[in-house]
Amino acid sequence: MDPTSRPAVVIDNGTGYTKMGFAGNVEPCFILPTVVASNESFLSQPKSSLKGSWAAQHNAGVAADMDFFIGDEALTKSRSSSTYNLRYPIEHGQVEDWDAMERYWQQCVFNYLRCDPEDHYFLLTESPLTPPESREYTGEILFETFNVPGLYIAVNSVLALAAGYTTSKCEMTGVVVDVGDGATRVVPVAEGYVIGSCIKTIPIAGKDVSLFIQQLMRERGENIPPEDSFDVARKVKELYCYTCSDIVKEFNKHDKEPGKYIKQWKGVKPKTGAPYTCDVGYERFLGPEVFFNPEIYSNDFTTSLPAVIDKCIQSAPIDTRRALYKNIVLSGGSTMFKDFGRRLQRDLKKIVDARVLANNARTGGEITSQPVEVNVVSHPVQKFAVWFGGSVLSSTPEFFASCRTKEEYEECGASICRTNPVFKGMY
Amino acid sequence: MMLQSHSRFLLQTLLTRAQNLDKAVELDYQWIEFDDVRYHVQVTMKNPSILLLSVSLPNPPPEAMSFDGLPLGAIEAIKTAYGTGFQILDPPRDGFSLTLKLNFSKLRPDEAYRNSLLTKLASIREVVMGAPLKIILRHLASRTVAPELDRLVAIMHRPNETFFLVPQADKVTVAFPMRFKDSVDTILATSFLKQFVEARRAASLSSAPSCSWSPTAPHELEGAPKETLSANAGFVTFVIMPRHVEGEKLDRTVWNLSTFHAYVSYHVKCSEGFMHTRMRRRVESMIQALDQAKPLEKTRSMNNKSFKRLVSFVTNVFRHSFTILSFVSSKSLSFLFAPSSQGLNDVNSK
Repeated sequence: MDPTSRPAVVIDNGTGYTKMGFAGNVEPCFILPTVVASNESFLSQPKSSLKGSWAAQHNAGVAADMDFFIGDEALTKSRSSSTYNLRYPIEHGQVEDWDAMERYWQQCVFNYLRCDPEDHYFLLTESPLTPPESREYTGEILFETFNVPGLYIAVNSVLALAAGYTTSKCEMTGVVVDVGDGATRVVPVAEGYVIGSCIKTIPIAGKDVSLFIQQLMRERGENIPPEDSFDVARKVKELYCYTCSDIVKEFNKHDKEPGKYIKQWKGVKPKTGAPYTCDVGYERFLGPEVFFNPEIYSNDFTTSLPAVIDKCIQSAPIDTRRALYKNIVLSGGSTMFKDFGRRLQRDLKKIVDARVLANNARTGGEITSQPVEVNVVSHPVQKFAVWFGGSVLSSTPEFFASCRTKEEYEECGASICRTNPVFKGMY
Repeated sequence: MMLQSHSRFLLQTLLTRAQNLDKAVELDYQWIEFDDVRYHVQVTMKNPSILLLSVSLPNPPPEAMSFDGLPLGAIEAIKTAYGTGFQILDPPRDGFSLTLKLNFSKLRPDEAYRNSLLTKLASIREVVMGAPLKIILRHLASRTVAPELDRLVAIMHRPNETFFLVPQADKVTVAFPMRFKDSVDTILATSFLKQFVEARRAASLSSAPSCSWSPTAPHELEGAPKETLSANAGFVTFVIMPRHVEGEKLDRTVWNLSTFHAYVSYHVKCSEGFMHTRMRRRVESMIQALDQAKPLEKTRSMNNKSFKRLVSFVTNVFRHSFTILSFVSSKSLSFLFAPSSQGLNDVNSK
């Protein structure tokens, strides 16, 4: 049977989480942390003689080189037994450890998705500004080890834009605000190509919000067992946090009606099994506030997210700026806070309007410019917007023609993976 | 690592649904597993407690046993395995061979029972595709031969490929013609299978089924049509005794035999991955040695330019040619496969 008649496999490898599944579906099949726990007890032996290391590996246990886990299983295994070391193959969006990445992909394809890689085309993602060599390595691994018939490596910001498509509107120009677990990036995309020089990164991301909430709860003296406190903070963040419109008013609201705003968190102590409850109060809105007022969290970085977005668009070529303001797309798990999009749009519009007014005043009111339309687009699949965009794009018929095929790889070598053209189905 | 008999994603979907019955959601997932088995799960907002599970199997080649698009005995096997909580829809949905309708509200609320039933449901592929094999092996457990069977039985395990069984009253001989598309895979698989057979001779595996490998069709397969006997990685033969199919071992033996080719293919790919790891480590150690050698080049009396060019050429060769063909030698293969064949203990042992 022909690989083009089967749905493609879409894998989005992020620093924190990997989303994987088949094209044509609305949701990914699995969302797993990007971590590998491997049994490396045999690697410490000296590699002097071939026979020696084989015996060592045999002593380490049956098939120790295949004894590894990924995702949530990896985290549980490493906590319960000390023979497993955790390795994070992706840091800041780039693959640093290719061995761990290859193993991760092996488990994804054979154990989780349980598909035969020779039957499907693959769509992988990468962050913008990755060096072309890493695309070559990815292509090598997939074509040599897995024998995939075709591969396309897409930039994740372009896919996030594709996730916002409706039947009438397919805008390939916009700013992607990707707030993930490890890093926050503001990426302007024009006509499907990323404007690399204008990408801005913010060191505040989902993990920092969790840390902040953990800090607040600890300062207030909530009785959470210390080894669980980060996990509890993360779950509280996902369940109870929301974005407010004004901090001062929110504090007043909480103080006036505590019963309505303060929530309870019920947990079980891991060591004793005894249940406990703790209050969740100001953290509910202070957590997401970190993006708009970073000075409450750390003194190193004090530019708010709307200001960074504005700076990014102002540094883009002047003819794209209005289009970029009109289409600001959110993606990433940490944008799922309630009303995040509305607050961002309101703050950004304030900055833009202030600048337009100042410009008009400078010319004495004689030359007025058209008001700039600011539009932040949010939709229900933000958590895996990149994956969803990949699923949509790999279901179009033009996708298969623009993939790099195994025949091309064998003819020209790994260097063909360096370029992946933007194709007709994208717009 | 063995492929588990239940589909991971299907189990996850079923368990999540069972735990959140009070929420009405719309689900519509389609996915494919190895060997072209398609699944489709659907839950609608109108009836949130009804779940429709459809499975589609590849078309069997002419010599395999089949009945109405499904393997022989599949319907009976489903009814035995799942009891009465399920309804088989006839005709199945468009494009699928089988559709089951599951009503969650009719399940017993006992959690352990529910989980085991849903795990069995997620193993629907094992039940359906392994049905003919199970019939033959069940007869073996009672030391009889199923009636109305030819001497040589062909069962499909991959699209357009079958494996052969010679059922007798006291043993069943199973022969797999192994075919691989890629030339590298074929070479690795051949070495792997030879080592697999050798590993069986270890003393701890004496109770496992005996297996042998031969590059040409074994004599038991005489009489089979010629085109089914082409195999570029040889033939693997197992002899299954009644003690291998007693009681609970029957299910595991059926699953292991049905997915043998997928198992070998997975191990071949893992071996390639392992070799890549070793090659990368070797390249790194060589680059380290080269980096240390660089300052000495300036003091050398020989022609520096040509030496540097040679050095950079060698570095580039190592960096860019990870292709396995140029690095493989049979010695390193047998070394590399000895450890991974130890992992097959649990295939052959009961």
